[in-house]
Amino acid sequence: MTDTLGGLTQEVVSGVALGCIYALIALGFTLIYKATEVVNFAQGELMMVGAYVNFFIVTALLDIPLLNGAMGFLLAFAGAVAFAFLFGTFLDLIINRPLKDEPVFSVIMATISMAIILRAVMALIAGPMTRLPVSPFGSGVVKIGGIVISVHDLFIISSAVALVCGFYFFFNRTKWGIAMKATSEDPMAASLVGIPVKKVYRNVWIFSMVVATVGGVLLAPKTLLDTNIGFLGLKAFPAAVLGGFGSIPGAIVGGVILGVIETVSMGTLSFHFPWVKEINDIIVWIVLIAVLMIRPAGIFGREEIDRV
Amino acid sequence: MKFRTPVSSILLMALFIGCAGREPTPGVTDTEILIGNIQDLSGPMKELGMALPHGANLYFNYINDKGGIHGRQIRMTMEDHQYNPQKAVAAAKKLIEQDQVFCLYQVIGTSPCEAIRSLLEENEIPLIAPATQSGTMSDRSRTGWKYIFHTDTGYDKQANILVDYAYEQNAEAKVAVLYQDDDYGANVLKGIAEAEARHGVTVQKEAFQRGATDFAGQVMNLNKGGATHVIIGGVVREPIIAMKTAAAMGYAPQFLGISPTMDHRVALGSGEAGEGFIAANFAQLYNSDVEGAKLYRKLFAASGTDPKVMGMYNFYGFMTAMILVEGLERAGKRLTRDGLIKAMEGIKDFDGKGVFPGISYGPNDRAGTDAVVLVINEGGKQRIISDWIE
Repeated sequence: MTDTLGGLTQEVVSGVALGCIYALIALGFTLIYKATEVVNFAQGELMMVGAYVNFFIVTALLDIPLLNGAMGFLLAFAGAVAFAFLFGTFLDLIINRPLKDEPVFSVIMATISMAIILRAVMALIAGPMTRLPVSPFGSGVVKIGGIVISVHDLFIISSAVALVCGFYFFFNRTKWGIAMKATSEDPMAASLVGIPVKKVYRNVWIFSMVVATVGGVLLAPKTLLDTNIGFLGLKAFPAAVLGGFGSIPGAIVGGVILGVIETVSMGTLSFHFPWVKEINDIIVWIVLIAVLMIRPAGIFGREEIDRV
Repeated sequence: MKFRTPVSSILLMALFIGCAGREPTPGVTDTEILIGNIQDLSGPMKELGMALPHGANLYFNYINDKGGIHGRQIRMTMEDHQYNPQKAVAAAKKLIEQDQVFCLYQVIGTSPCEAIRSLLEENEIPLIAPATQSGTMSDRSRTGWKYIFHTDTGYDKQANILVDYAYEQNAEAKVAVLYQDDDYGANVLKGIAEAEARHGVTVQKEAFQRGATDFAGQVMNLNKGGATHVIIGGVVREPIIAMKTAAAMGYAPQFLGISPTMDHRVALGSGEAGEGFIAANFAQLYNSDVEGAKLYRKLFAASGTDPKVMGMYNFYGFMTAMILVEGLERAGKRLTRDGLIKAMEGIKDFDGKGVFPGISYGPNDRAGTDAVVLVINEGGKQRIISDWIE
């Protein structure tokens, strides 16, 4: 029995780390959705782009003697974030601005196209080989009791928590955050009271690209880097829905729930009930539908009632 | 005047007979043999898409420079199937009907090759060296089996050999398999089932999806099941993550891998976690001392290609090209598709300048070889630790 319990705890811990990756992508979805009501289907690809940019800089710095250690990783990370600022601005320019007053559907289609284009362009630039980035935190592990967690996973969890707390604070306590919320509620009214709506939109794309980059940089050493890692975005999508689309704490809660379900069903559940193995792929979606049946707006979602 | 008619009619008849006997074979002219290759150039296996044909062309060009095969130059034309069976069928149709290739060669992937079986049969066109190690390729109960000449040792046979190896190392071993849940994995499981029956044991089985990023659950289960030897039927990414996950949990079984895990990047990427990892391979390594490998390295260096990509995939194209060339040589000057099939059936113990364990075919045998060598990872370097094992 203790064996099973120990196993379960280990799986939950691993699941939380996996869930935090989903949470980071889901957070990107949420940010853009919160301010513009657009679902950005290229979020996973933005993460992939961020991860590659970081990887390229790390590789370029390897040849410079002073910069091939921790300093190099920091510089590369800073470089990737700087790139994220530029790229976020660019995305706002080419996707959001021209389609501002068009139906949300058009913007969503544009994001899907962007996802495909980014995958193809990155494949051209980076070549077809899977890259093997190393973790800046080494391959060390921390042992607490019988439970093992890698230092890298600890960083993933703490980054996800820090970003979620930061953005929660930002949206609820700062002037800019509240302006963003107001914009999503009613862009026309927001611009009438003097909120620079265009700037709000641009910033939200930048934020979302930065979050994606952080996610990508943390994810790449864990799963290795190729142009298909963006498909993870498709898994983060149910996480965002589960937590309540548009809710920032919802992103992390939804992500962690999904991550834990995945590892536990793949592990202990499959071990004791072999038939679970056969339905591993759909368990996540069963849970999603079950939650939506009980709480249609997701766990943290608010049901919005439109006045007629 | 009297003689004229019979003479001219005899001449005319001779001309007709000559023409009938020399019905042109598609893809073959006096100066050229056109072969068709279908790769994945933009799908999930795109890493191999350029490498395989590049390696094959190294050998074709080498043969062409020496005067070709019976005076004909080999030329290869390529299509992209993105690892999609439907697109593979369309690509094969184009190569056969429009480009009129003489034969198909190195079509990549189990599912794409399975999808074009009926096309091979309809057109009576051979497929030499499909680029997959699935044992189904040489299965004589399937459509079009006669036209497929499989070179590599099947995944099922490899799995069998690896289970035997585990028990040789340790009679008390508890063997487990971690397999990719698709055609590839199914073929591995087939071999595992045979081994289970032979040894009278049950092998613990854990599955994963291609592209999986988390192996905590499976590795926990392997640990709980007490597996001492874990056979991995994956490609590159998944074995690395699985071994790293096990190392992080302080669980250290002997990991063994089916041939796709022989990729050098598994040895490099798994770091300490992959130390001592043993993979099966159906041919000698590109950096070994056999003549075939030496020739490969020489030609590769002369081609001016980035030495970083010298590894197994280019070499795979190179070595299978040797088999095709051997078949074409044997088929003689009057090249026909049927002639190639007969010639291939005549190949016995062909070792490709030491690269292969000895490839043999026969009228009822389409599996080139049943043997592998074992390759160990030592500090990111690969070393062969066995002779050919059957």
